[in-house]
Amino acid sequence: MDDTQLVARVRAGDTRAERALYDQHVDRVYRLAYRMTGDDELAREFTQDTFVRVFDRLHQFRGEAALGTWVRSIATTVVLNGLRKVKRFRQREVALEAAGSVGSSPVRAEPDLKEKLRSAVDALPTKYRMVFVMHDVEGYTHEEISQQLGMQLGTSKAQLSRARAKLRESLAEFAGEWAS
Amino acid sequence: MTEERFQEFLRGAAQDYHRPPETPREEMWQAIQAERRERVEELERQAWRWPHRVARSPWVRWGVGIAAALVVGVAIGRFSERGQPVETAAAPSGRAAVEAGAARGAELAAPYRWVATEHLGRVETFLTGFRVDARQGQPVSDPTGSARQLLSSTRLLLDSPASDDPRLRNLLEDIELVLAQIAQFRGESDGEELDLIDDSIEQRSVLLRLQSVVSAQAARAGSQGVL
Repeated sequence: MDDTQLVARVRAGDTRAERALYDQHVDRVYRLAYRMTGDDELAREFTQDTFVRVFDRLHQFRGEAALGTWVRSIATTVVLNGLRKVKRFRQREVALEAAGSVGSSPVRAEPDLKEKLRSAVDALPTKYRMVFVMHDVEGYTHEEISQQLGMQLGTSKAQLSRARAKLRESLAEFAGEWAS
Repeated sequence: MTEERFQEFLRGAAQDYHRPPETPREEMWQAIQAERRERVEELERQAWRWPHRVARSPWVRWGVGIAAALVVGVAIGRFSERGQPVETAAAPSGRAAVEAGAARGAELAAPYRWVATEHLGRVETFLTGFRVDARQGQPVSDPTGSARQLLSSTRLLLDSPASDDPRLRNLLEDIELVLAQIAQFRGESDGEELDLIDDSIEQRSVLLRLQSVVSAQAARAGSQGVL
């Protein structure tokens, strides 16, 4: 069954078609949400929200792009908006924690490469991180990224390049790992 | 060469970045279905409550108030016209007739002008709030319902003598257009519709003109003791 037939059946109220659409796309949506949040609960919330919107707005799907692209463009919007809210919430939390722990200075162990890389990727601006995760981690092409994030192809490439440059800078102490 | 090696290294090392567990398909599917059912039930509840909610809405009460004021205004106008003595033999002519007509017109238009000023004030408040909330990404509470009510009142005013003033008529027509756009607003997060509405408000300088008319009318009414 192709996208057009599947969408037509979902619009006609066929619940098995709804499930088929969900099964086709849920993995990539959940994976991306998890990669971006690193949190199962948030990834589930964003994935569920994505599919609620997909079914709610399926009448707006005109078949100009592939159904998967359309679904994932909704997913990226949900994830980016959700992360913005989470960031605001966490900033408030951190501020409260900082206010409550004046004078204490936790001793931190020297992070290993994996930990350092995780921190460096986490520290990237959200859009750079999204492009980096989509391209270098999940294997999306620049065409897919530009369609799903609603940006020019060149912007996607430029943002990936900037993300890599920032990571290279952050991981300078491990240069031997790739120079050897 | 080093750059290529770095990219290769990065791609390999980054595979561990927030490595996702197996997709919890069934649990999420159940949650999605439950959320959709809840939405449908909520819509049904809202449809059931709609007449009561609408009746309680301040915008509806204002709409009804404006309609009532217009009806009273028309009645006063007609009554006062009927009460005028018929002066067929000694009707004023020339400049005197024009001045008399203008004076009567001004007198007749007073209730309409008062209603129009009140209405424009409401529109200004609504549009300012809508714009601020929309720009901050906050959902505006029932914007379409409020816009529809204001739209009805705007159309009533357009059909009344209040719109004899070309400047006011022009403003009311622009407001009608903006309110019609908001009345059809579906609250989408992509912002395209919001941008269009924002452009309409901006291009026609609606808020600026509203503020200018409302403050001018308020000043005039203050000096005349109307408001």
